[in-house]
Amino acid sequence: MNVSQIVEALQQNFPDETIEVRDVPMRDTFVELAADDLHAAVTLLMERFDIYHLSTITGEDTGDAIVLFYHFWDGQGLTLCTLLSREAPHIPTLTDLIPGADFYEREVHEMLGVMFDGHTDLRPLVLPDDWNSPPPLRKEEEEKEDEQ
Amino acid sequence: MRAFLSVLFTLLIFPGFLFLFVCALTFQWIDRKVAARLQGRIGPPWFQPLADFIKLMAKEDILPTGAHKTACALLPMLSLASVLTASLYIPLGGKGVNAFEGDLIVVLFLLSLPALTYFLAGWLSASVYSIIGGNRALLQYFSYEVPFLMVLTGPAVLSGSWSITEIVAWQSRAMWMVLVQPLGFILAIIGLIGKLKRNPLDIPKAKSEIGAGPLTEFSGRKLALWYLMLYMKTVVGIFLLVNLFLGGSGLGLGLPGAVGFALKSLFILLILSVVSVLYARLRIDQLANFGWRVLAPLALAQMLMVVWIGVI
Amino acid sequence: MSNDRITIPIGPQHPALKEPLSFMLTVEGEQVVDSALRLGYVHRGLERICQRRSYVQNVHVVERVCGICSHVHSSTYCQAVETLLELEVPPRGLYLRALLCELERIHSHVLWLGVLAEILGFTTIFMYTWQDREIVLDIMEELSGGRVAHAANIVGGVSIDVDEDQIEDIQERLDNLEPQLARFVDLVHNERSFQARTRGVGLLPTGVARGHCAVGPTARGSGIDVDVRRDTPYGIYDQLSFSVITVDDGDVWARAAVRAEETMESLDLCRQLLKGMPKGSIKTRAPRRVAAGEVVSRSEAPRGEVVYYVRSDGSEQPARVKIRTPTLPALSTLPIQLQGVNTADIPVVLAGVDLCIACADR
Repeated sequence: MNVSQIVEALQQNFPDETIEVRDVPMRDTFVELAADDLHAAVTLLMERFDIYHLSTITGEDTGDAIVLFYHFWDGQGLTLCTLLSREAPHIPTLTDLIPGADFYEREVHEMLGVMFDGHTDLRPLVLPDDWNSPPPLRKEEEEKEDEQ
Repeated sequence: MRAFLSVLFTLLIFPGFLFLFVCALTFQWIDRKVAARLQGRIGPPWFQPLADFIKLMAKEDILPTGAHKTACALLPMLSLASVLTASLYIPLGGKGVNAFEGDLIVVLFLLSLPALTYFLAGWLSASVYSIIGGNRALLQYFSYEVPFLMVLTGPAVLSGSWSITEIVAWQSRAMWMVLVQPLGFILAIIGLIGKLKRNPLDIPKAKSEIGAGPLTEFSGRKLALWYLMLYMKTVVGIFLLVNLFLGGSGLGLGLPGAVGFALKSLFILLILSVVSVLYARLRIDQLANFGWRVLAPLALAQMLMVVWIGVI
Repeated sequence: MSNDRITIPIGPQHPALKEPLSFMLTVEGEQVVDSALRLGYVHRGLERICQRRSYVQNVHVVERVCGICSHVHSSTYCQAVETLLELEVPPRGLYLRALLCELERIHSHVLWLGVLAEILGFTTIFMYTWQDREIVLDIMEELSGGRVAHAANIVGGVSIDVDEDQIEDIQERLDNLEPQLARFVDLVHNERSFQARTRGVGLLPTGVARGHCAVGPTARGSGIDVDVRRDTPYGIYDQLSFSVITVDDGDVWARAAVRAEETMESLDLCRQLLKGMPKGSIKTRAPRRVAAGEVVSRSEAPRGEVVYYVRSDGSEQPARVKIRTPTLPALSTLPIQLQGVNTADIPVVLAGVDLCIACADR
C-alpha cells in the first residue's frame, strides 16, 4: 500500500479538516481524523485501496479525551486515530463495513463506555453480566484503583 | 430338589450370570488393553474393569428432577435381563440351555430390546443431551439392524434351520459359514459394531458432542448396570457370531472345544478392538447413508447368493 | 420447545471445550439456526495489569496471555519495547527467539490436530499427536527450562543460549520428528473417515473471512494469502525462506491441511535457524526508562496475527498496552461457520478455529 497516496486521497476528500500524519516505527503510519469523518474514510480505504483488514481497535482514556486507534494492516500498518469527548463519547459503527469490527467495538464500549452509533448488539462481552461500576479503563476508575 | 439346584446353577453360575459376568469383564479388559497398545499406551491392569464396576456400584445414585424415576430404574434392569436371557439360548459348544427350533429369532429379538430401552432412557431422563442421544440411537438402530438381520438369516437359510444348535451342527458337517458367506460375516461384524455402539459407530454416545448420550444423567448403580449390560451384550454378540459363522466350538486341531470357542471369540474381539482405533466417528446421516446405500444392498446380494447356493 | 427448537448450551463447561466459553445454540432438528457467544470467564485484566508494572515485569505478564503460544506474546511485546528504545538486538538473540517461536508453532499445531481428532472420536490420532508433541516440548524444556512458559525473552534479547552439542542434539530430534509430522500430513490428505467428518464443515468463504478480518490458519484455510512473517518481516524472518500455505476450501479440513503442512514448514525453519545461528552475544542491556512514543508490533502466532500496541509516556511503566490475540477474529467468524451446521459437527467447528479462550479474554 502506498501511504502517501492514501493520505493525499484522504486530504482531498476532507478538504476542511487538517489531517495529521505521523510515522510510527515498525512500518506503521498514524493518521488523525475527526470522528465524523471516520466512516467515510474507512469506506474510501476499502473501495479505493482495498484495505479491509482491521487488526483491532485500541481505546485509551488520556485524561483529556478518549482516543480511538483503528489499526488497519495490509502488509504494513495504517492506523486511523480519532479523539472523542470524555463526557458522551460516541462514533459511528464500522460493523456495516467490516463485520469483524463487532468484537473490538464491544470491547471498547464496555471498557471505556464509548457508544458506537448503529451497532445493534452492545451486550457485555468480557465483563460480568452484573457489572454496575463505570467502565473500568476510564482514568478516574484507574486512579481509584491505584490509590487502593 | 436336585433339579431345582441344577436350574439355579445354570442360571446363576454357568452359563448364566457369573460366567457371563466374568467373560464381560475379561473381554472388556482385553479390548481396552489391545486398543491401548495399538495407541501407544500401556493400558489398564486386569482388575480394572472389576474395580470400575465396584466403584460405580458404590457411587451415589442421582437423577435430575423431571426424570421418570421408576422407568429410569427399570430400564437398565430390563435391558440386562434381556441380554442375560439371550445368553441362555446360545450354545457354548454342545447345546444352549433353552435351545429349541427357532431360538435364533428369539436371540435376535432379545438383543434388539436394549436398543429400545436405551432410546427410552434418553427420552425419560430429562436432559437435552440424552434426548439427542436417544434420537440418534433410534436412527442408528434403523441403519444397522436391517442389514444385520438379513445377513444373520443367511446361515439359517443355508442350513435349513432356525436353531443355532442346528446351524452349528450343519457347519461341523459341511464347512464354516464364513467360508461360504465371507461378505455376510463382514456385514455382521459391522452390524455388531453398530449394535454395541462401539467406535466408529459410537454416535449415540459421542462424548465430545453430547456427553454420554442417553446415559448422561445416569450414575451409580444404574450406570453400572447399563455398562454391565453393554459388556455382556458384547460377549453374547460375539458368541452368536462365533456360532453362526465360525462353526461354534470345533477347531479341528484336536484342541478341546472350549479352547476353540474361546480362540474364535477372541479373534472377533480383536477385530472389534482394531476397528475401534482405526477410524474417526461417523456422523448419523453418514451412517444412515452407509447403512441403506451400502450395507443393505450388500446384505441383499448376500441373501440372494445364499438362496442361489441353496437351489444348486 | 416451540417449533421443535431446542437451545443447547455449550459451555462454560463442556467436554468439547478445553477452556470456559459460553455458547447458546438454537437447534432446529439437527441444524443450528442461531448462536450467541459470551466470553469473559477467564478475563484477568492483563492490559490493565501491564499499565501498573514496569516494562521488565511486563515481559512475564504478557507471557501469561496464552497457555499454548506464550513465547510469541513475550516476543511481540519485547519487540515493541525494543523498537521504542531503539535497541539493536544481537542476531543470535533473534535467532533463538525465532527458534522457540517455530518450535511453539509445531507444538501448537500438533496439539490442535490431536484435539480435533479426539473430538472426531479418533483417539488413536490424539494419542499419536500428543506423544510426538512431547519431542518438541522436551526440546523446549531443555532450551529454556519450561515446557510451555519459557521465560526466555527479556527486553534486549533472550536469556537462554545453546552450545554446539545441544544444536546437534536438537537437529537429531527434529530428524526423528519429521516422519511423524509427515504422517500427520498424510493422514489429513488421505484418511477417509477423517475427511468425511471435516470436509464441507464450518464453511467460511473467502469474502466472509476477509470481512471478519480473519487471521492465520483460519484465513489461509479460506484462501487468503496472508502471513505476517512474510508480509511484514520482523526479527530475522526476512533472512529465512519458507512458503505460506493456503488452501481454498474454507472448511475445517482446509484449516487442518494448512496447519499440518505448516508444521513441516516450521520444522524446516527450525533447521535453517539452527544451521545459520550466528556467534555472538544473546542480549544487550536495556535501560529501565522508555522515552515517550508509541508502536504497533505485529507477529505471526500459531493462530495468526498478534498485535501489541504499546504507548510510553516516558516513565518506567507503559501508559497503554493493547493486546489483540488471533483468537478474537477467529471467534467472530464462529456464528457464520455454525450457521446451518449439523449438531454432531458443532464440536468439530469449534475445534476447527483453534480456540484459545484465555487469549481472547486476556
